[in-house]
Amino acid sequence: MSSSLALLAEIRQSSERRPFEVLKLAEPLLNKGTISQAGDDVWLVYEQVFLAAIDEGQIELAKAILITLQKRFSGSQRVKRLYGLVNEAAGHPGESKKLYDEIIEKDETNVLASKRIVAMLKAQGRYAQAIKELVSYLDVYANDFEGWLELAHLYLGQHMYAQAAFCIEEVILLQPANHYYHLCYAEINYTMGRLDIALKEYLRVVELSTDNVRGFYGVKLTADRILDLVKNRPKKDQLHFSLDNVPQQGTLERLSQLATERLVNAYSEANAACRTVNEQWLKE
Amino acid sequence: MPEYVVSSQAYAKAILHCAKYPWAAVQGLLLGEKKEGKFRLTDAVPLSHNWTQLTPMFDVAFQQVQIYAKSKNLVVAGFYVANEDPESVQLSASSSLLAQTIVSINPEAIAFAINAKNFKTSQSSQPALVAFSFVDSQWKEQTAAFSGSAGKGSAKNAAIFTLENNQALTTARILVEERAEVGIFDFDEHLENVSLDWLQNSALNERIRTA
Repeated sequence: MSSSLALLAEIRQSSERRPFEVLKLAEPLLNKGTISQAGDDVWLVYEQVFLAAIDEGQIELAKAILITLQKRFSGSQRVKRLYGLVNEAAGHPGESKKLYDEIIEKDETNVLASKRIVAMLKAQGRYAQAIKELVSYLDVYANDFEGWLELAHLYLGQHMYAQAAFCIEEVILLQPANHYYHLCYAEINYTMGRLDIALKEYLRVVELSTDNVRGFYGVKLTADRILDLVKNRPKKDQLHFSLDNVPQQGTLERLSQLATERLVNAYSEANAACRTVNEQWLKE
Repeated sequence: MPEYVVSSQAYAKAILHCAKYPWAAVQGLLLGEKKEGKFRLTDAVPLSHNWTQLTPMFDVAFQQVQIYAKSKNLVVAGFYVANEDPESVQLSASSSLLAQTIVSINPEAIAFAINAKNFKTSQSSQPALVAFSFVDSQWKEQTAAFSGSAGKGSAKNAAIFTLENNQALTTARILVEERAEVGIFDFDEHLENVSLDWLQNSALNERIRTA
């Protein structure tokens, strides 16, 4: 298998969004016909290139690939969804909606079509409607953590922090060992002034992901802020924050120190400018 | 009438940050100095492309950029954002608040929303930026920004915005065309890999200079 095909397979595996690279890799394969070396995977490659073409605004290329796929898989609901996508990209949302509705009518468990409908509403700026649809979807598919993540994202876009936090809680229930979601939860809570929860969650991040720089920045920021509020500020300033279950002052100071040490250690890999600024920041 | 001049480097970096994450909102800070009564916005420091409504890492980055700026005899002079929805060129509630924190340390700080849709028009002689000044405790769009005048009927003290030179627009277009955005690194990325040069993006600066 050619190295281009191997790379394309890697990108499919990681599901990263790298449309420009995908098109660059695929162009010679398509032109020279060597794409057929992919064997049975060739249809996955076609689909991958289709999606990249849509992302890069290359509608004509996308349409050409679609014709190839349609010839091989006529009547396929999977290909039908791709027709929906190309219509969205070409600015015909009405057409897309019709296609997605047809897919769902034929099979109400087709989650990809349901998600496309939410995505379309979002693209049209109809956020309240998108949220409503996604909430209905999650009523049925409560285990779809990606759905909960997207809902959190939609809520954050509307600055509905408490609702976003709830969604991330659902994600954490489904994926408790993934530090990324604890990080998101910590940052939402920090933004809401819930410093006690933020600190706890940032500590969970560095527990799950050794020497996580963002995590330790969060630990230092939060511990120092709590210390400042508790030691230096009048009671009335503290009222804006949730400080119910914060550790003792001694513990907070040790946590801040630990974070400082780990950050200094991590920054030995940074360039001089960043390292100097970090050192200065740690002192302030 | 306050006058702001946006340098080629600042403009190109803000645009490239936006180009690197076309499906996401991006935001960053602008550095500058006051010279001969004008504010020269000389550089852009990209901050984030994820969870842009959340504050903790903005707080850390803002503090660090202030330290960095001081070391270069510059001040944090502005905020830029490109919204997730390319149709929207307003400052969201969170963007307004974040930009406001800059005003609290620099009362003359301004904000820009990147108008990504305008960027494609190669005939455009204006930068793809919507400018905002903080007036009467809110961000007010400066509709005559970059138009070469303070605009008819605009407020007496409306700010004037110009680009450093005519080359700035061409430079940005050339760089976007050659996909130079792979070479810009923001604070979010730096947090995953501290060896990334988010404060200066020196290699990119060099490319901008020679474009």
